[in-house]
Amino acid sequence: MTSPTESGYNCGSAGGDTVQIEIVPQRILNPETSEKLLRRVYDCDGIIRVQVQGSRLPDKVGYGPGTGEKVNHPLKKSIEVEGQQVNMRVTLSRLLVEVDSDRTADEIKKICDETFSFPFEFYKGVFFKKYSTIVDYAKMGPNPDERLLGMTDPKGKLDQIVYIEKERKDSE
Amino acid sequence: MADTCKINKAYKAQYYPGTTSVAENRRKHMGHKTEKLREISDEDLTAVLGHRAPGSDYPSTHPPLAEMEEPPCPIRELVEPTPGAKAGDRIRYVQFVDSMYNAPSVPYVRSYYAAINFRGVDPGTLSGRQIVEARERDMELIAKDQLETEMTCPARSHLRGATVHGHSVRLQEDGVMFDMLDRARREGDVIIMDKDQVAIPLDRKVVLGKPMSEAELAKRTTIYRVDNVPFRSDAEAVEWVQRVYLQRTQYGFRPGVEKAQ
Repeated sequence: MTSPTESGYNCGSAGGDTVQIEIVPQRILNPETSEKLLRRVYDCDGIIRVQVQGSRLPDKVGYGPGTGEKVNHPLKKSIEVEGQQVNMRVTLSRLLVEVDSDRTADEIKKICDETFSFPFEFYKGVFFKKYSTIVDYAKMGPNPDERLLGMTDPKGKLDQIVYIEKERKDSE
Repeated sequence: MADTCKINKAYKAQYYPGTTSVAENRRKHMGHKTEKLREISDEDLTAVLGHRAPGSDYPSTHPPLAEMEEPPCPIRELVEPTPGAKAGDRIRYVQFVDSMYNAPSVPYVRSYYAAINFRGVDPGTLSGRQIVEARERDMELIAKDQLETEMTCPARSHLRGATVHGHSVRLQEDGVMFDMLDRARREGDVIIMDKDQVAIPLDRKVVLGKPMSEAELAKRTTIYRVDNVPFRSDAEAVEWVQRVYLQRTQYGFRPGVEKAQ
């Protein structure tokens, strides 16, 4: 396990004192397991942002004589997270989460232990992009929200980001 | 399908060094001493290959050789054409992907298998996939043999003509090699394929058979892995691979140069 570097210019995660974690399960997750994992992760307090990485699940065949044929992949399902329907565009093969403290990170590790029936890797480190690049400048202009940096592929669009609003537990 | 595109060898060849199960399996695949595990009908095979409609005649690219007036040539007299060449079949391909998670065969071994045991084949080896081009009926013979024997596990080896990935991708939760185009999947305790090699939907479900268990895969695989049979545990294979690499580098495969110096 590694820990975030604390020395050097702006080497911390975007949120300053936050902790970034990477979860790599040994198998590609089913939509049911993905939903279970994401629901439980979002139930934790102190989740800042979550990124799902994995193999693409296309709607249509992109190459060869079958180009244009529909693909109804069984892993491509809509899952419900915090009451919001999210369409899986990729499989859940790697999960990056930024949280506010080590305590939340440990809580997520415990969730992984309980959710996966197979081994997984769990790291702390710096996994989200820290600086605005030319691509980010083209997408978001000057002074972008730091939390949006590195949330999509360089060629991806900002509409790939799903905003999930969490209800405050201490309702006034 | 006639079997005359097979090569008849007059000597006993040694294919691969080593004393481990992986080396033994490689010898089995290369020497075509594989065990038949399942049955796939010709119609089903034709459907998943996707080159012609099941039950239809083989389209030809030239008239049968018997009807062509070939120029006198001692080589043509010496070498009997394969059934596909004799009939004037088109050149068609079959392409296999093998998962790095203990798939029974690997691209290099499949290529050795095709080149050693069959005539009129053009095997192509890539890191995670292997293609064989041959006359259509010859190719079908080779494809069927690989699909029906221990060279293939339906869950860890797939037929993929386009978007050929999966070799180094993690497995799905059900232990099946991932395919973004969903050509093959587990239904009950068998693997079925309802699309052809290039993901065009079929009007049938082709049952490819039961997947092998993890223990059986570990026993039948031709892949050296540190979590199964590590390459370095096979002293004989290491010795011969090192010898080949050393001599290739030092002498460019010129036997006798070493002694002369």
